[in-house]
Amino acid sequence: MLFKLSFSSMRKMMKDYLVLLVGLVISISIFYMFQTLALNSDFTKGNSVISSIQIVFNVGAFLLAFITIFYIVYANSFLLSLRRKELGMYMVLGAKKGKISQILFWETLMMGIAALCIGSVVGIVLSSGIGNLLMNLLEISPEGYYPFYVPALWMTWGFFLVLFLITSTINAIRLARATELDLIRAEQQNDSIKRKGIGTILVALLGLLLVAAGYYALIEIKVLQVLGLFIGAGATTIGTYLIFISLLPVFVQALKKNQKLNDHQLHAFTFAQLRFRVNSLTKVLGTVAMLIALGVGAMAGGLAFQQNVDLISSAQHVYDITLHDPAEEDFQALHKMNVIEQNTYRYKMDEKGYYFVKDDLLAHPPLISTNTFENYSSENKPKRVTEPLPHPAYIMYANQDEHSNLEEVPREWGKAISTEIIISYDMLSGKAVQIVDGATYDGIAGSEHQVLLAQVDDYLKYKPELKAMDQRQKQWIKTIHEDEEREVYLSTKYSTYEAVYAFTSGTMFMGFFLGIAFLAMMASCLMFKILSGATRDKDRYNMLRKIGVRHSLLIGSIYKELFLVFVFPALVGLTHVLVGMQMFSFILLDPYVNIWVPTLIFLAIYAIYYYITVQLYRGIVLPKEA
Amino acid sequence: MSGSVLDVKNVQKIYGKKGESQSHALKGVSLTIEKGEFVGIMGPSGSGKTTLLNVISTLDRPTEGLIEIAGTNITQMRRNQLADFRSQRLGFIFQDFNLLENLTVYENIALPLSLQGVPSKEIGTKVNKVAQTLAIDEILQKYPVQISGGQKQRAAAARALVHDPAILLADEPTGALDSKNAKSLLETMSDLNEKHQVTIMMVTHDAFSASYCKRILFIQDGKLYTEIQRTGDRQAFFKQILDVLAELGASHDVR
Repeated sequence: MLFKLSFSSMRKMMKDYLVLLVGLVISISIFYMFQTLALNSDFTKGNSVISSIQIVFNVGAFLLAFITIFYIVYANSFLLSLRRKELGMYMVLGAKKGKISQILFWETLMMGIAALCIGSVVGIVLSSGIGNLLMNLLEISPEGYYPFYVPALWMTWGFFLVLFLITSTINAIRLARATELDLIRAEQQNDSIKRKGIGTILVALLGLLLVAAGYYALIEIKVLQVLGLFIGAGATTIGTYLIFISLLPVFVQALKKNQKLNDHQLHAFTFAQLRFRVNSLTKVLGTVAMLIALGVGAMAGGLAFQQNVDLISSAQHVYDITLHDPAEEDFQALHKMNVIEQNTYRYKMDEKGYYFVKDDLLAHPPLISTNTFENYSSENKPKRVTEPLPHPAYIMYANQDEHSNLEEVPREWGKAISTEIIISYDMLSGKAVQIVDGATYDGIAGSEHQVLLAQVDDYLKYKPELKAMDQRQKQWIKTIHEDEEREVYLSTKYSTYEAVYAFTSGTMFMGFFLGIAFLAMMASCLMFKILSGATRDKDRYNMLRKIGVRHSLLIGSIYKELFLVFVFPALVGLTHVLVGMQMFSFILLDPYVNIWVPTLIFLAIYAIYYYITVQLYRGIVLPKEA
Repeated sequence: MSGSVLDVKNVQKIYGKKGESQSHALKGVSLTIEKGEFVGIMGPSGSGKTTLLNVISTLDRPTEGLIEIAGTNITQMRRNQLADFRSQRLGFIFQDFNLLENLTVYENIALPLSLQGVPSKEIGTKVNKVAQTLAIDEILQKYPVQISGGQKQRAAAARALVHDPAILLADEPTGALDSKNAKSLLETMSDLNEKHQVTIMMVTHDAFSASYCKRILFIQDGKLYTEIQRTGDRQAFFKQILDVLAELGASHDVR
């Protein structure tokens, strides 16, 4: 009988339960999504440029589990607050406490299992959806990623079942402890206003100090290595929480202290609501800030890896195209491109080496890159080779014993030849390279060739053409070696780009995948927490309406209040990202390339959640006007 | 309409749609309250007194009839106009105080003025003045949880009065107070009425509270039943009220 009753009242409170269910489903599906990557170590290891990627995933899994536990605890107390009044009433009417506890236990567990079923399905759909989306967007095909992954499913079910069992038990115990009157009178507690004293200032200082230390560790990651990673992550996290616990309430209090601002329209109420929120949401806000940092950081990291592919190839090669003995197709393709600079150099080749004409080189000296991996800056523009070549002949790649009477090719010329002209190690295979004057050149017996260097406006625009050109150059190398079976590796700009891209795309995929997962989790965490407390605010808005506050003012107050709640963690989180990207500086040329892309993605997701939260909250606290 | 603050003409309120089961909460009530009056509305539960208060306080719309407050017809107003009207021309005291517990007493009282865009400085003077009148100037910086029920109701009264409303509407203001605090509040209200010419309409079912009024309207089954005027002292008036109530109860029982 009682079960029937409780079931029918659950149906009546469908709307509240829906909020709860949606929250649980989101958390479960994201947990599953994460596990499909984390547990698939073949995929993560095979597709990452970071050898210690598994550590990153383990830390991530731990964090996610931690957050999920918090999430479930919130969800649980929300559930309890929904039911306690009614269950208390049954007890007053004479139902046995054991029976009521039992009802609550099963209710919580059933709710959890329902959420698990839906969450698993949503998780699988979400994983394959986001997986496909990313693969299409990023033009990659991560082999070995399975949206439906049985170990991940096991992990999710195991983890959440244990959690739900624990929370159900806690609920039952809590109920068993409370008296009938406690239950019926629930919700009437007031917001306690704590005075903030010297302790708060100390906590705030400690928080700032820890964040500063964390930032320092991240910036000096080159020196501190893995230790820096741990110090950075640990100190920043704890510091963030401390700041939200101490500094934010003080800040809101200061807003309220401004009498003029406070007396304006509904501001007194808006600020009071805000103060209540920052006091009760400190931990959530801290968590949200950290999740934002992780989410945006993961995306920015992934994106930076991809963007760095271009940087790496551009830092190595100035010329987008190097063609030895260009064919008719090459010229046709070149004709369609927007060529900025194009030089052609003659050379002869015999079995001992390559002989370039000094006059050709000096007439059109090539550009060389001034960037090195150790010391990269986008300010370093390519420079033209200016070194004079007074001697009749120079040599590089020489065997130690031979030609020892010849001058070594000067440094800049050597760089130009090795990075821009010689496109494959296979071209050399024992041959030397010489720069010789006209007279010597005429005396050399080998076959005559020419090499064309070209710079175009944006080489990524011409990927198919470049690919075809590289293909023909490979064939050319095979031909000059008269060895069709030979494996040839090119190091033109495009080949470099392609190779590094393949190498980093897996990392980028994971970055975006994780980033979106974290962001979705974060925002739903915040939304859920705000909504679960909304019923309490109903009376306040009703009161204001009675004394004659315009509807539009009330709505404005909600927008302002929630905006501020949303904006604080966003600011802190983004600052963390900006500093935290330093972490990648030891592996990436420029961690900050296109950082605005993940920032924009984040802001878009966040704005959508903000809007939905405001609308849902409004629906709860403001009655529909007749 | 020279001195009349409130004019209610033939007001009807029907709940429920046509064709369905309808309930007639008000069946044509007319009444007039002059400036400076202290009028009580009494009646058994279900008689329609709360509905009457709701339509007068613009929280609900009458189905039929006309309501004018200080010369303004409120039955034709739009939503925002109504909200503004409430915040500028009406003062409310509710049984459960309706203070916002997350604001200080000062902020609660200041709210109606803030809504009207009164400068911060002026708000300060006005709040302090009304707080002195109601003897709560010591607790302005406290929060509702930190003060007693009597103080809460005084704070609510201060909020209702701070913007100089045309009429103060009180809904069972003593309902949640002990007898000592109730008495003190009623004395304050009659003080406000006599010394500050505040017009008050109070809904109550408590004869003792009602005895502080100058005139009492009794309603039953959505209609005005009778009205009595206080002529002598409060004690005699109290007896008079009890008599009418007995009569009301009797008529109820017989039918």
